[in-house]
Amino acid sequence: MIIRHKDRIASPEIVKSGFDDLGYICSEAIATAVYLACQLQKPILVEGPPGVGKTELAKKTAEYLSAPLIRMQCYEGLDESKALYEWKYGKQLLYTQVLKDQLGSVMQGASGLDESVERLHQFGDIFYSEQFLETRPLLQALREDEGAILLIDEIDKSDQEFEAFLLELLSDYQVSIPEIGTVEAKSKPIVFLTSNNTRELGDALKRRCLHLYIPFPDTQLENRIIASQVPQIAEELRRQLVDFVAALRDMALKKEPAVSESIDWARALLLLNVEELEPQWVKNTLNLLLKYQDDIEVVEPEINRLVRALK
Amino acid sequence: MQRVLGNFIHALRQAGIPVSPAETLDAVKTTKLIGLDDKVRLKTALGLTVAKCQEHKLQYELLFDQFFQFATQAVASEKSEVPLDAERGAGSEPTQSLERSLKSSPDLNRQITSLADAVQSPLAQQLMQGDQAAMSIAIAGAGNTVGLNQMQIFTQKPIFTFRMMQQLGMDALNQELRELSQQGNNEALVQLLKTRRKVLREQVQDFVEQQYALFAQAEGQTLRDSNLQSLKFTQVDYQHIDQMTRLVRKAAKQLASLHSRRRKTTRRGFLDARKTITTNAAYGGILFNTRWRARRIERPKVMVICDVSGSVSRVARFLLLFLYSLQDVLPRVRSFVFSGELGEVTDYFDAEDLETAMAKVMNHWANRSTDYGRALTDFETLALGDIDNKTTVIMLGDARNNNGDGNAKVWKQVYQRSRRVLWLNPERSSLWNTGDSIMADFTPYCSQAESCNSLRDLTRILGKLLKYS
Repeated sequence: MIIRHKDRIASPEIVKSGFDDLGYICSEAIATAVYLACQLQKPILVEGPPGVGKTELAKKTAEYLSAPLIRMQCYEGLDESKALYEWKYGKQLLYTQVLKDQLGSVMQGASGLDESVERLHQFGDIFYSEQFLETRPLLQALREDEGAILLIDEIDKSDQEFEAFLLELLSDYQVSIPEIGTVEAKSKPIVFLTSNNTRELGDALKRRCLHLYIPFPDTQLENRIIASQVPQIAEELRRQLVDFVAALRDMALKKEPAVSESIDWARALLLLNVEELEPQWVKNTLNLLLKYQDDIEVVEPEINRLVRALK
Repeated sequence: MQRVLGNFIHALRQAGIPVSPAETLDAVKTTKLIGLDDKVRLKTALGLTVAKCQEHKLQYELLFDQFFQFATQAVASEKSEVPLDAERGAGSEPTQSLERSLKSSPDLNRQITSLADAVQSPLAQQLMQGDQAAMSIAIAGAGNTVGLNQMQIFTQKPIFTFRMMQQLGMDALNQELRELSQQGNNEALVQLLKTRRKVLREQVQDFVEQQYALFAQAEGQTLRDSNLQSLKFTQVDYQHIDQMTRLVRKAAKQLASLHSRRRKTTRRGFLDARKTITTNAAYGGILFNTRWRARRIERPKVMVICDVSGSVSRVARFLLLFLYSLQDVLPRVRSFVFSGELGEVTDYFDAEDLETAMAKVMNHWANRSTDYGRALTDFETLALGDIDNKTTVIMLGDARNNNGDGNAKVWKQVYQRSRRVLWLNPERSSLWNTGDSIMADFTPYCSQAESCNSLRDLTRILGKLLKYS
């Protein structure tokens, strides 16, 4: 892709501090991955537990490079007519109607079948042409003049066939449309694929991508993330909150609270004017952090102990 | 530089991380882009290109640290850059022991400078200078020359050590030492050289040891693994059970990923109206070509019955392990075990992890005398009604019934109701129907009866099950 601000991807440090300014506090690994993806023109496959900011990374990259973001959500049964292109059937039908009416005047004066067929061939065939092509996200990303950020979200939800279909796009930045031929990217997009690991992705796909795993952040990083997202929260409360969430992640839960949940929680505590983490408040707001009743039942009896440990 | 990277990738592959040539190229590009100065960043960046899942990432990080301890010196030696801080590369034990030996003899230390001119062979001179960094570079260089990364088994360690010493110029040093001691007036020098030669040998040995760990250890593991695959389950030692378990899981995972693709049949079923209309738009909406909805092939429903008495119990253990590791492709496995009476153990496996469940099942059901008649009667009341024409029934047992009645008529019913009946017998087929084995009663009512006593058999049989259902 044509990057208008070359200086913004000059080194991983610059990427990192640039993301900081946009409010996306990231680790060294994330910044290095974005840097490499821009420099090597390779797609990044981002994996990690839900809520650690995988999708957000693509959004922020688009914002940072001031490029358009094209997003494609994957789901089971997604096929190329929904992801790549579709013909405008209605208009094609109308076209054949018009053609039928015009046919008489085109054929006028032709004698014999051979000549008619010849005339028909001289007549430009636009039935399958770009005019009747309805672009879908992938094709749109290839057609952007100055390149784009293409986010293929939750690739693990799509079928295996679709994954195979993506391979051509990811390695050569081109797609084949049987009726037209190969469409090459006007400018190579930067591709982000995200996965929650609900199924193992194919080796062929992994081979074509840089692989970035985003784990839960350590407490220091999470402190900074919350400070940047919820700047009004008091420093002491923030520390307690982050430590509490870290303690929860150590417990055997069905779904550990992710960063997005701690941010929500911080916002809620701010709204409730909580000054210090107390068992009663924690108990009342626990459903913001934990999304399963089982988990809440596991944690509730432990709240007193956990809160005491924070002080 | 590229050579070092190549070696590193070789080490990664040895450790079981599949790095493709394309990924190697990416790694080279990445290294060029990032540079060699910032080791931490290089580690992160290379990790993004070569290690593509969590497990591999951990392994990669360990190997990176292990490898680049010495390889930094090799890079420097290729560029013939001598300045290299001693702590970075050679902060290992030999350096310290050399320093200790120098400290313990301060009077020798003073003489060194005067004696250094007296020696001629290059190695001796190098030893006298006592420049550790240069020495480590020389060692790494010699390692490259003798092809240390080709080492395969541990018995090769001494020969490689010897070759490296040769490469470093040991012969000339020994020759000179002999001459010096014959002259008889350089006792201190000879002693010093001998000590340093000893230290050098230790250093080289350490280096060989470390390289062995990097390149060859995994090789030995692969060899052992392939032996274990064809080893009979009944002969697996207790100490190898963990390894075997790991292998079973690995094989199951391979099989699962092979068959995780849901295949479709294009047999005619329902008309796909949407597709039909769109494909026929070209013909003015006249329906020339019809499109049909593809039907997905159903996963087999599996019921497995395991004899867990005596000798069969170990095979049962691995069969159950295998089946439950196949969860992704075989989500509906119901399992029953018996020795005397029969019971369903599906819930054990749902509730707990495999190991604990297995232990509980074995404790509760195993080690009673076998009674096929009783077991099949129990099975009839428990599950016969649930068998339909999509069910595959797998029986694992040696059909040794202590001269009791096998109750084969139940088995006949099972055969008639189910889609397929598999009988896996851990004994060789030549032993069937000898002694108290009543295999002949059951074989008429089996779609397939096979001898199954190794991981290889298990993979083959279950692979077929997944492929053709």
